Amino acid sequence: MNKSCLALLIAASLSSPVFADDISDLKQELSHIRADYETRIQQLEQRLNQAEKSVKANNTAVTKIAQRPATRTKSASNNSFNPAISVVMNGQFSDYRREGDDYELDGFSQHGEGGLATKGFSLGESEMTMSASIDQLLFGQSTFALHDHEGETEVEIEEAFIETLGLDNGVTIRAGRFFSPIGYLNEKHIHAWNFADAPLIYRGLFGNQLSTDGVKLSYVVPSDLFIELGGTVGNGDQYPGSGENSGLGDWLVYARTGGDMGVSHSWQASVSHWQSSPEDRAYSGGHDHGGTGTPDPVLFNGDTEISNISLVYKWAPNGNFRQQNFTLLGELFYLNEDGKLNNSAELATYDGKQYGGFVEGIYQVNPQWRTGLRYDRLGSNLTASDDELLTDADLDFSGYHPQRYSLMLEWLPSEFSRVRAQINHDKSSRDNDDTQLFLQYTVSIGAHGAHSF
Amino acid sequence: MKKFISLLLLLVVSSPAAAKLNVFACEPEWASLSQELGGDNITVFSATTGLQDPHYIQARPSLIAKARQADLLVCTGAELEIGWLPLLQRKAGNTSIQVGANGYFMATDYVSLSDIPASLDRSQGDVHAAGNPHIQTSPVKIMLVARALTQRLQQLDPDNAVAYQQRWLDFEQRWSTAIDRWQQQAQPLKGMAIVVQHNNWTYLSEWLELNKVAVLEAKAGIPPTIKDLNNVLNTLKVSPAKIVINAAYQPSKATDWLSNKTDITKVTLPFTVGGNEQSKDLFSLFDNTLQRLLSAQ
Repeated sequence: MNKSCLALLIAASLSSPVFADDISDLKQELSHIRADYETRIQQLEQRLNQAEKSVKANNTAVTKIAQRPATRTKSASNNSFNPAISVVMNGQFSDYRREGDDYELDGFSQHGEGGLATKGFSLGESEMTMSASIDQLLFGQSTFALHDHEGETEVEIEEAFIETLGLDNGVTIRAGRFFSPIGYLNEKHIHAWNFADAPLIYRGLFGNQLSTDGVKLSYVVPSDLFIELGGTVGNGDQYPGSGENSGLGDWLVYARTGGDMGVSHSWQASVSHWQSSPEDRAYSGGHDHGGTGTPDPVLFNGDTEISNISLVYKWAPNGNFRQQNFTLLGELFYLNEDGKLNNSAELATYDGKQYGGFVEGIYQVNPQWRTGLRYDRLGSNLTASDDELLTDADLDFSGYHPQRYSLMLEWLPSEFSRVRAQINHDKSSRDNDDTQLFLQYTVSIGAHGAHSF
Repeated sequence: MKKFISLLLLLVVSSPAAAKLNVFACEPEWASLSQELGGDNITVFSATTGLQDPHYIQARPSLIAKARQADLLVCTGAELEIGWLPLLQRKAGNTSIQVGANGYFMATDYVSLSDIPASLDRSQGDVHAAGNPHIQTSPVKIMLVARALTQRLQQLDPDNAVAYQQRWLDFEQRWSTAIDRWQQQAQPLKGMAIVVQHNNWTYLSEWLELNKVAVLEAKAGIPPTIKDLNNVLNTLKVSPAKIVINAAYQPSKATDWLSNKTDITKVTLPFTVGGNEQSKDLFSLFDNTLQRLLSAQ
């Protein structure tokens, strides 16, 4: 800029008509200007250099701060390889008219933990989960549940499995004991469910939850639409399977798909089919015949098949799930079994169909409050060549449709704790409408667990 | 049917022979950085948007499907994604993105972190054991991550190593020029007293030498109670602040409360790429951040 200005000036002065004296004067002046100009440029350059240096110094200073080695000290002792451990504890206060043996689910048999918790204060299941990578190939996880049963504390292995990390092409293999990939809720731990008690159909078919001791294979299709196909093979000993089955007794196949609709909506749908051939599966009834003092349970032998479809839809504004969300979940189950019922005295052919499902809607108002509604409905069609055996097995074969409405409200002080109040209008059995109340806390301590969709 | 099969074949055949590197970025800032450094040699998917809280993302089916196809995970690390990323890794059946694999890139592994808690206890709220993970609020940290990410891209895709090198040199030049410019612009902000809603501006205030006098969330990740907020008010009587900062993805209830109660100006910063309309990439993210800070000053 300066240069061109100067050149213009010079050109202008040169082209104008001047005398000789003036020219020498001008020459002198020009050399002055030139010298002055050069020193100025030098000064400018120096200043620029300095400025550049200071910016660079500033930058390296910041970089140095950024690169400062972390002060974390690595422990040399063996406990740095401890697995991630978390414990889930819960306790509740419950109130209803019918508990224990008084509670009946018409058309279904009750098994294991499938009944209601003790009235009043009770300690729920305490669950301890440990998980870690085993090596470069495998991941392992085990969950032990402790609960009281008839005055004694029982330890139960809920899950204990290993799973591949290192297989490729979307394939994962899992082995051990795990919750079967049937339906949506079944694979989640009970504390991650949205209500204090299991859906009636889970209670009626599985005694709350279906698990398998065996192997699971799954494959995720390489597409933007999520598609997972898989199956499990198990020993068939977990209810409603039963018996040794020479070690191979239950099969399950499933398919799952899901995706997003825009940024705020997501969904998942699944179908699954489970089958087994139970040997001597005992019904919870079991009346004392002939006063011998020993119970004489009714046993089932035959084939059992269960099919499921489930659908989950979730909405969260902008996909920001933490602030506000709504979940709609529905599942349907259909059980079909064919075989024989017997006890020590009698034998009958049996054809049983049990079905039902639930739909629930959960609305999270803000990070600390959630509320939800659930509706359950079941049905059954049980026929046997000798009704007396059905009666002995405590199976209601009138075709009654058990129903239940549930409403819950949750307060979530943080991600790790929850207080829940729930009220049910329960019509599980024909003659005994009941109002059930639950007040429950659930907390998790230890490692930060990750919850699936 | 025949037509369908031939169409399918055509689709398979016509897909580009040299497959691009599939990058799964957990947050938009890393998606943007990957795009800067990878250019046409990669395809980038961002698992979250600038309006989502990266602490709380659902391991949705769509994310599993994307993780299944990823060659490289570019995430923040330092437990920011602990609630969802491990699940994606486990369910995807994809060796390349497992912990320790070449396709597992955690940005916080390449910078030093501040706010490392002296003691770990959940009564202190949602504390991160490894330190504050929100490093993308400082362009200096981003530069360090960019260098490491370039090396990773070269490792994974050696055929295009030269291209990555060129892109890195170009980016380095543009980014350092931009940093100088931002630092010049930010001169008047030096020492400015600020209040933050959540403690996710540590690196920004370290970089610009802002003076954080209070945090609205008494416990990280837990919405502040009225008592907490009154404590902040008392602190501010002793050491007053000029502005209160919240991130675009956060509900601004607490920040609004403070700016209504006092004459402290509320400033909502984009926090990451896509946090507002103007923040389209990393450059405009900082342009906008500084512009907002300066105009509130």
